[in-house]
Amino acid sequence: MTVRKGASDPFALALFLPALVVLIVTTSAPLVYLAWTSLMRIDLSMPWLSGFAGAGNYAQMLGDPRFWHSLGLTLVYTVSTVVLQVALGLSLALLVLRIPKGQGALRVAAILPIVLAPVVVGLFWRTLVLAPDVGLVDVVMRALGLPSYNWLGDPNLALVSVIAIHTWQWTPFAFLVMLASLSSLPPDVFEAARIDRASAWQRFRYITLPLIRPAIVIVVIMRMMIALSAFAAIFAATGGGPGTATEILNLYAYRTSFSELNLGYGAALAMVLLAITLSVSFAMFRVRRAR
Amino acid sequence: MSAPGLPARESAPKREARRVAPVTGKRLRTLALVVLATVLLAIWAFPVLWALLTSFKTERDVLAYPPTIFFEPTLRNYADVLFGSASLLPNLLSSTIVAGVSTIVTLLLAIPAAYALARLDLPAKRASGFYVLATQMLPPVGLIIPYYLVLQKVGMLDTYSGLIVIYLTFSLPFAIWLMVSYFEDIPREMEEAALLDRAGRLRALWYVILPQVRGGIAVTTIFVFLNAWNEFLFAVVLGGNRVRPVTVAMFNYISVEQTLWAKLAAGAMLAMAPVILLGLLAQRHIVKGLTVGAVKGGGRR
Amino acid sequence: MIEKRTARRNRLPAERGEGALRSEAGDGRPGAGSVSMRGIVKRHGSFTALHGIDLDIAPGEFFALLGPSGSGKTTTLRILAGLESVDAGRVRQDGVDVTDREPGERDVAMVFQSYALYPHMTVHENIAFPLRMIGTAKDETERAVRDAAAKVRIDHLLARRPGELSGGQQQRCALARAIVRKPRLFLLDEPLSNLDAKLRLETRVELRKLQRALGVTTVYVTHDQEEAMTIADRVAVFMEGRIVQVGRPQDIFARPATSVVAAFIGSPPMNLLPGEVRDGMLRVAGMDFPGLRVRAGDGAVSVGVRPAALRIGPDGLPARVYLVENLGDTTIVDLDVAGQVIKLRTDQPPNVREGDQVRVSFAPDALHLFDPDTGLRRD
Repeated sequence: MTVRKGASDPFALALFLPALVVLIVTTSAPLVYLAWTSLMRIDLSMPWLSGFAGAGNYAQMLGDPRFWHSLGLTLVYTVSTVVLQVALGLSLALLVLRIPKGQGALRVAAILPIVLAPVVVGLFWRTLVLAPDVGLVDVVMRALGLPSYNWLGDPNLALVSVIAIHTWQWTPFAFLVMLASLSSLPPDVFEAARIDRASAWQRFRYITLPLIRPAIVIVVIMRMMIALSAFAAIFAATGGGPGTATEILNLYAYRTSFSELNLGYGAALAMVLLAITLSVSFAMFRVRRAR
Repeated sequence: MSAPGLPARESAPKREARRVAPVTGKRLRTLALVVLATVLLAIWAFPVLWALLTSFKTERDVLAYPPTIFFEPTLRNYADVLFGSASLLPNLLSSTIVAGVSTIVTLLLAIPAAYALARLDLPAKRASGFYVLATQMLPPVGLIIPYYLVLQKVGMLDTYSGLIVIYLTFSLPFAIWLMVSYFEDIPREMEEAALLDRAGRLRALWYVILPQVRGGIAVTTIFVFLNAWNEFLFAVVLGGNRVRPVTVAMFNYISVEQTLWAKLAAGAMLAMAPVILLGLLAQRHIVKGLTVGAVKGGGRR
Repeated sequence: MIEKRTARRNRLPAERGEGALRSEAGDGRPGAGSVSMRGIVKRHGSFTALHGIDLDIAPGEFFALLGPSGSGKTTTLRILAGLESVDAGRVRQDGVDVTDREPGERDVAMVFQSYALYPHMTVHENIAFPLRMIGTAKDETERAVRDAAAKVRIDHLLARRPGELSGGQQQRCALARAIVRKPRLFLLDEPLSNLDAKLRLETRVELRKLQRALGVTTVYVTHDQEEAMTIADRVAVFMEGRIVQVGRPQDIFARPATSVVAAFIGSPPMNLLPGEVRDGMLRVAGMDFPGLRVRAGDGAVSVGVRPAALRIGPDGLPARVYLVENLGDTTIVDLDVAGQVIKLRTDQPPNVREGDQVRVSFAPDALHLFDPDTGLRRD
């Protein structure tokens, strides 16, 4: 559309530059600083030990069992929430497709978890839902004659609870996207399949699934990013505990930096998380492009 | 729906039976689906409704077992939360200022930038687009450490300007990415027609393009505001006593000794009232925004 | 308000006092609307869209750019509009070089294939927009809008939005927006292609009458050869980024310059059969025509003959009837001549059925001879 030949367009630059400058200042510059910090030893609780540490933080990380535990938790957390969200969201969307009248009310209900602040969701669940004696779950379980569990206090159950919380909040997102995607599929393809005597399962497997694959991939990518950086809900619900039972990597980095005041090590942990996030997103985008 | 080619002779009762069975079968299936939908509705809406209910109970009613649905409602909790010693009002103000201003600044920066990316001949256009996308991938925890250190040195911890600038970190890339997809949806011929009509590029943008992305701007505004209002990590680390959004203030009602259940519920309802209202009023926009963001890739939520 | 400050550059160069154009047109406006393009080359990466276009368009002419998709006609139009840059060559309007001028500075109006109406504005606001952009006074704008709307007969629709109009009405709205500021050059990019067949025929005639009434130089892009032939004063035929023939429709029809042009023009288009000239004698499809004296030199030729010039009769080429299409007042017969299908057109229904063996003849002066390799005329 431009008449100018080849030369850079001052109008376009003028429009883009302010945002670019802000972006660089707020994201890239701090990243450099983070990398630098990860090479330092900054221990605010023992300031006399501060100084350049080189790769010392990273070396320490390799031998740190709490780090590996945290990494494992992150993996479990991320994979299970994403899989659950997609599976549940898709199934629910498929089922709900047949009741066009109910979709309006369901849309409203689906929006509620999404608009809430994750920290509030964590607190809700911690107090009103999962608390012993008073919480919703406990009330229901006791009414059904089932035993009481300490959902957030038991190290074995805490991870499950936290996964449930995240899934509860974000499945509606997957649900809404899948529903929109399914609704936009052309009906004549399915009619042709029915004439060709395809069963419901076959229609799903050979027509529906391939057609909504782009939507599924996008949902997986986006939810994975969010799961890797999920913080507020877990912080509010368990604080990373009991002990380190729900201490996914970014919580570990946070605690190290702001509770234990070991900023250098915390920065190193954050760098590792950043590397994981970037590589996962690159891998996923390549998957998306390949398809 | 009788199938052609069936044998013409079929006993009447058999035909009747065949006709009735599918109808009830279908009805049963619809019923099952309706039940399922109701269950879903309950699971997703119930916690909020339960919190709403709890906020009108006295602390004692809350702890009663079995939980009472019929009780004497009280506004005490709301009164305490709003006007009591640990009032939520300054927090609501903080949230409003931080979320509101950062949304406005984000839009002012993002809309022109998105237009430039979508339409104009930007040098290194692909690289710039990719850069914007990459900045969305950064985990926030990786940024708060340097932010904390820098803001501390500059003395901007616990200030409005400090927090607002930092909120741009996640708002700006997301807003740019969303708006780019909306700008790309406008046919190029629209702008060309405006240029031929002697509008010039700035006026073409103002009079012709922007009115058509009004929907996109609305959606972007909603999501940016939502994200900013609900932000916790940045608020808790980089805020303090003066600037303390509602998300941080929630913890006022929880301490080691006890949890003030009803007050917490009331506080949470107030804190979430703006976003819930926004969600209910703008639900169509939100759903559209989710699917647009999902289709075109990227996005924080 | 932005619009009050009419940017200096938004006024016509002539109004600024630059590049003043002398004119012979009696309307008192500078410039009469002649256009010339010399050596225009346009590349997209490694692909060359235009290989050196030369064109001269006289003031007030209705000039069609005709060709199949991808032949470069739309690119040429957009270059005239200033929406595309050129890699080589110059564009002149009334003798003034406008090659580097922005679209807004050329006094050109365009009707896009998709109409490009502003969906958020009413029809009235759409038409008024160009005048508003140059800061025309309110009452004058009002008058001009009503005038333009009346000319295309949509004055009763001024309060509606484009989304509430039918396809034909939208097209007329786009026309009104283009003519409202009395441009020097009027560009139309396949404006009828989105209309249904009947509307297309009606609108074609209206467009022609409108142009005559306004007297504005018009450049019209189309791939429909019947359209171009019926409404244009002159036609430029585009093939693969080159102009292969320029001339009046009747001249192109009577003497197509190449076999490609011949096969493109006419409905149905000209038939082409392989043949040979030996000793001044023509041999087509294995049959000699000793009575035919041919002016071309010896060698292989491509023989072109129009469907309407063929006759089914007692002598001529042997052919088998392949298909008979009865269109009401004309009939088209597909004939298989030595393995190749040619078409015959006649107003009198022939008494043949599919599968019949017949003989096909033609008048001697109805032949066009082309070189089989280069496609150029040989006679």
